[in-house]
Amino acid sequence: MIQTMAWRNIWRSTTRSLVVIGAIAVGIWAALSLTGFATGMVKSYVNNAVQNIVSHIQVHQPDFLDENEVKYNIPDAGGVEQAIRAEPGVKAVSVRSVVKGMISSSQGARGVSIKGVEPEEEARVNALDENIVEGDYLSGEGRNPILVSDELAKKLNVKVRSKVVLNFQDRGGSITAAAFRVAGVFDTGNKPFDLSHVYVRRSDLNNLLSSAADSALAVGLLAHEIAIMVDDIRKVDTIASSLSAGLPGLEVQTYRQISPDLELYEGQIKNISLIYLTVIMLALVFGIINTMLMAVLERIKELGMLMAIGMNKLRVFLMIVLESVLLGLVAMPVGLLLGYITIDYVGKNGIDMSMYAKGLESFGMSSVIYFELAPIVYLQVAVGVFLTAVLASIYPALKAIRLKPVEALRTI
Amino acid sequence: MKVITTKGVVKIYNPDKIPVKALNGVDLEIEEGEFTAIVGPSGSGKTTLLNVIGGLDRPDEGDVEVGGHDIDAMSDNDLIDFRKQHIGFVFQAYNLIPVLTARENVEFVMLLQNRPKKERHERAEELLRAVGLDDKMDKRPSELSGGQQQRVAVARALAPKPDFILADEPTANLDSKSTANLLDIMARLNEEEKITFVFSTHDQRVIDRARRVVTLVDGKVATDEVRG
Ligand SMILES: Nc1ncnc2c1ncn2[C@@H]1O[C@H](COP(=O)(O)OP(=O)(O)OP(=O)(O)O)[C@@H](O)[C@H]1O
Ligand SMILES: [Mg+2]
Repeated sequence: MIQTMAWRNIWRSTTRSLVVIGAIAVGIWAALSLTGFATGMVKSYVNNAVQNIVSHIQVHQPDFLDENEVKYNIPDAGGVEQAIRAEPGVKAVSVRSVVKGMISSSQGARGVSIKGVEPEEEARVNALDENIVEGDYLSGEGRNPILVSDELAKKLNVKVRSKVVLNFQDRGGSITAAAFRVAGVFDTGNKPFDLSHVYVRRSDLNNLLSSAADSALAVGLLAHEIAIMVDDIRKVDTIASSLSAGLPGLEVQTYRQISPDLELYEGQIKNISLIYLTVIMLALVFGIINTMLMAVLERIKELGMLMAIGMNKLRVFLMIVLESVLLGLVAMPVGLLLGYITIDYVGKNGIDMSMYAKGLESFGMSSVIYFELAPIVYLQVAVGVFLTAVLASIYPALKAIRLKPVEALRTI
Repeated sequence: MKVITTKGVVKIYNPDKIPVKALNGVDLEIEEGEFTAIVGPSGSGKTTLLNVIGGLDRPDEGDVEVGGHDIDAMSDNDLIDFRKQHIGFVFQAYNLIPVLTARENVEFVMLLQNRPKKERHERAEELLRAVGLDDKMDKRPSELSGGQQQRVAVARALAPKPDFILADEPTANLDSKSTANLLDIMARLNEEEKITFVFSTHDQRVIDRARRVVTLVDGKVATDEVRG
C-alpha cells in the first residue's frame, strides 16, 4: 500500500510532477544525445585518420621506426606480404617504400616524407584516391608522377602538371635528385599530415633509391612499410597479435600504437559520457530536491498523522524516496526512447555541422557527424537517473521524518 | 487493572517566550475497559492530555504509564510502534489519508501490522458497514462529508482492535444521528472487545453516554465522576 500511496501522491500535483518528469526526460535525452554526438565526433576523427592516414595496422622493420633510414627495409617484403594476405580478416594490404627528403619548386622547399606506393593497392588501403581534389590519381602513365596536398601546393606555389624536385639519400648514402610532375592534389583534412607527405609510385622511388650495389630484382622488392586494413575494426588487436607472432623481427602496430592520440580519443569516449551524465544529473538533483521538498512541506500535517497512527520513520522515509524514484521511473522510458530515436535517426542520416563549425575539417573530422552510442550508455544513464532520484529524495525524506507528529498535526 | 496512569503531568508550551501551562499537574488513573469522557472548556488541555497519553507529545514533568509502558522511556520510533500495536487515534479534525479510499484507510494500520489480506478486508468491510458506510467504501476522503470522514476515522482506529482508543472530539462535526450511531459502535466495541476508551468532548449527548467523566480546568483535573 506504501507503493500505492507513493504512486497516488505524485499525481496529487499533476502539473508539478509532470514538470519534473519532463525535466528528467529531457535530461536523459540530452545526456544520450550529447554522448552520441561526442562519440560520433571521435569515431569520425578516428575513422578519418585510419582511412586517410594510418590504416588499421602497419608493419615495419623496428630500426626503421627509430632511425627512419632507407637501409632499414623489410627483408623479404614479398614473402611478408604473402603471409599478411593469408591472415584471415585482412582486407587490403599496401606495400610502401618510404624515404625522408626534400621537395622543392622554384618558389620554395620543404622537408617531406616520400611514400612510394603501388597505386591500386594503396587505393584499397587508403582513401587517397578519393581525396584527390585536383588532377588525377597516380594511375596516369606519365613519367615520375607525384601527389602533393593542396596545402603543400600552396606553400610551394605549384599546381597540377607543375614540376617539382625531390632530394633524398639513396641506399648507398649519396644524395639523389629527381624531377617529378604533379599529377594530382590531395586533401585528407589533416593539415600537419598533408604538409609533410607526398606520394609517388613505388617503382619510381625504388629505382631512385637503389645504389650501384643493388641488384635489379632486390630493387623492385624494396619496402619499408606495409599498411593493412582489416574487415572489422574491433578485430584489429587480435589480428595484429597474430601477425606479430607470424612475423618475427618485424614491428606490427595497430592504429592506436601508431597514433597514440587516436587511442587517447577513443579512451575518452567513456569519460565523456560519464561527464555529461554527471553534469546533467547534478542539475536534475536540484530540481528533484525542490519538488520533493515542496511535496513534503505541503503534507506536514498528513505526515504527522501517519506517524501518529503508527507508520514508522523508516516507512515514511521509504515512501518519500519511492515517490522520487517513481518520478524518475516514469521519466526514464520517455527519455531513453527520445534519446534512442535521436541517436538512431542521426546515426543513419547524420547531422551536417558545416554551418556551425567551419573548421571541423581542418581538425581531421568530417562535417557530417553520425551519432553513435554504445548500448551500455543507456544502462549507465538509467542507473544514473535512478541513483539521482534516490539521492535527491534523501534530504526531503529526512525532513519528513524529523517532524514531530503533534507539531505537525497542529500546523494548518 | 489500571492501564493508564498519569502522575503530576505538566506540559508547558512556549517555555522561552510566553509560557502556556497546557497541563498543570494532572493525576489520572484509568482502569481497563473504562469508557471515559474528558470534558472542560476550550483550552483546558483536553487535546494535550490525550496527546501525552498517546505518546504524541512528551510531558515536561510527571510520569505517564500506558499499558505497563513508561512513555517517557521510549524513543520516538518505539512510540510509533507502540501506537501501531496498542492505540487507536481519532483526531479532532479529520485526518484520513487523502490518497486512499475509505476501505484502504481502514485497512492501513492493519497493513502496517502485517495482518493477512483476508482479515484486513473482512474487518474493514465489517467496520465500514457498522458505521453505515457500506456504499462509500471505495470513495476517497474528498468525496465524503465531514461526518462520513469522521466515521471512517473511527473505523480506522478500531480496525486493528487496539487496547486503547484515544478520540479527540470524535463527534464534533457530526449530526445527531451520526453521533448516536458512532456512540453505539463505540459502546459496543467497548463491551465486546474490552477496548478502553478515552475521549474528549463538548457534546452533552456524548457526556451522557460516558461511564466516567473527568473535567479539566486550566490543565488540572477539577472533578472526576464515575457513574454506575
Ligand atoms: N503547540 C502549542 N503551542 C503553544 N500553545 C499551545 C500549543 N498547543 C496547545 N497550546 C495551548 O495549550 C492550551 C491547551 O490546549 P489544548 O489544545 O490541549 O486545549 P483543548 O482543551 O483541547 O481545547 P479545545 O477544546 O479548544 O480543543 C491552550 O491554551 C492552547 O492555546
Ligand atoms: Mg482540543
